Amino acid sequence: MALLDRAEWYDIARATNWTPKYVSQAELFPDLMTGAQGVPMEKWEVYDEPYKTSYPEYVRIQREKDAGAYSVKAALERSRIFEDADPGWRSILKSHYGAIALGEYAAMSAEARMVRFGQAPGMRNMATFGMMDENRHAQIQLFFPHEYCPKDRQFDWAHKAYHTNEWAAIAARHAFDDLFMSRSATDIAVMLTFAFETGFTNMQFLGLAADAAETGDFTFASLISSIQTDESRHAQIGGPALQVLIANGRKAEAQRLVDIAIARAWRIFCILTGPSMDYNTPLEHRKQSFKEFMQEWIVGQFERSLIDLGLDLPWYWEKMIAEFDYQHHAYQMGLWFWRPTLWWNPAAGVTPECREWLEEKYPGWNATFGKCWDVITDNLLNGRPELTAPETLPIVCNMSQIPICAVPGDGWNVKDYPLEHEGRLYHFNSEIDRWIFEQDPARYRDHMTLVDRFLAGKISPPNLLGALIYMNLQPGEMGDDAHGYSWVEKFREPAKAAAE
Amino acid sequence: MALFPVISNFQYDFVLQLLPVDTDNTMDEVAAAAAHHSVGRRVAPRPDKVVRVRRQGDEQFFPRDARLHETGIKPMETLEFIFCDR
Repeated sequence: MALLDRAEWYDIARATNWTPKYVSQAELFPDLMTGAQGVPMEKWEVYDEPYKTSYPEYVRIQREKDAGAYSVKAALERSRIFEDADPGWRSILKSHYGAIALGEYAAMSAEARMVRFGQAPGMRNMATFGMMDENRHAQIQLFFPHEYCPKDRQFDWAHKAYHTNEWAAIAARHAFDDLFMSRSATDIAVMLTFAFETGFTNMQFLGLAADAAETGDFTFASLISSIQTDESRHAQIGGPALQVLIANGRKAEAQRLVDIAIARAWRIFCILTGPSMDYNTPLEHRKQSFKEFMQEWIVGQFERSLIDLGLDLPWYWEKMIAEFDYQHHAYQMGLWFWRPTLWWNPAAGVTPECREWLEEKYPGWNATFGKCWDVITDNLLNGRPELTAPETLPIVCNMSQIPICAVPGDGWNVKDYPLEHEGRLYHFNSEIDRWIFEQDPARYRDHMTLVDRFLAGKISPPNLLGALIYMNLQPGEMGDDAHGYSWVEKFREPAKAAAE
Repeated sequence: MALFPVISNFQYDFVLQLLPVDTDNTMDEVAAAAAHHSVGRRVAPRPDKVVRVRRQGDEQFFPRDARLHETGIKPMETLEFIFCDR
């Protein structure tokens, strides 16, 4: 039997809005869940998804994608990439899986909300596929690292991280709860698919796949490419939703959602991808700096998308771009210095050659971040490793849940951005983080950072050891220098020569 | 005499840190406690200098012998620790 072309039946089959008889429209689609902001249902029917597919097409393509990724994995199971790869690369894998895998299940739940409460039939269609995409992403990103667990128990954190109160896991949960677990269907379309996926994950996954291929980890490259092709499809849910909001006089609210989401996504991206690109990736495999990547792929991409849609650049755009010069360097120092609190082993990434590269890419690095690394390196060279370990907690931002940090040394600009609200003093990393809080204080005010929990007596004993126990980090899981401090030796000869 | 948490923003360091001190501590003692977590760890020692304490954003430092409970500093307020000649 000949089948009709999709284009001949799609529009009719998609028209699934109806007029309810037994309940009111408001009961069936409460505004709280739809986020339609009073835009009536018929106005949403102009929503036209740019990427169309049918269920049989979807299943056929997804089956091929899975078969591709799993067969590469099977074919390379006996390769020695895991053993031979630079330890910095293994750290990228561990941080990626722990921070992302279970977040994909959360994203599946968010897609499901759009399936049920989306006002536009096209959005519900796209989100149905998106929901299945995210389920696949969670499963495949749990299955692949599972193989490594017997070799290295830090890989167990691919599944474990989200079930703990480890600080980075708290940060990931806080951001993802805000971006899509506790938002309406329309908010999810804007914040998850448009801002987070189009802007950041889609690009990140492209970059990560290229880095994996460069490192020789073809299993991870094929896995990430496979996921990215799904992302690039379902990330398109947000654009038409924004068009409907703007066409119906809701630009200000749409802009606010976009501005919050980009700011929150930037923090996660900055701490996860920044140190990965500029420190954990071995020098010989670096294609471009994190700053160059952000300017070329993220800024350009976002500026075009926002302006094409009729939105403005976020009010903080220039401030965010200014952070490309320093914020991830500060996060890297925090990750390395508080390394026992991680489920991966951060690479210091500051050999003399690395420092030369950092100075070239970020002029002034040696006079700022380099000054702190000088002290750290000197302590390691002179048998004082205890001084490279933390004895207190960093102050954590009440929005990002990431330590508040900035430029040290000659360019010292570290600053708290405090806010007193209903008698409680909050601390933020920047004006941007504080602005997000001010948009909806009731939404955020009761959350306790790790430091708040420490001060409230929830961590026992009340010291760093107690904090590690609270974070569920077991011996053999706590992070340490990825290269076992071997990089310090590269400084020993010049230091000896200088002393003589 | 009571345990009192403040936030240390130490000159030339990269991060804010939790600093448990005591209400009876003088500003010099508070500065020494802050230095313990920064100087020699990420900030190079400057033996010719003293570390003075001020509120974030203030020009004026607290007197070196002022006790914490006399200053009006609130719990979890951010203090700047600055290298000075005296």
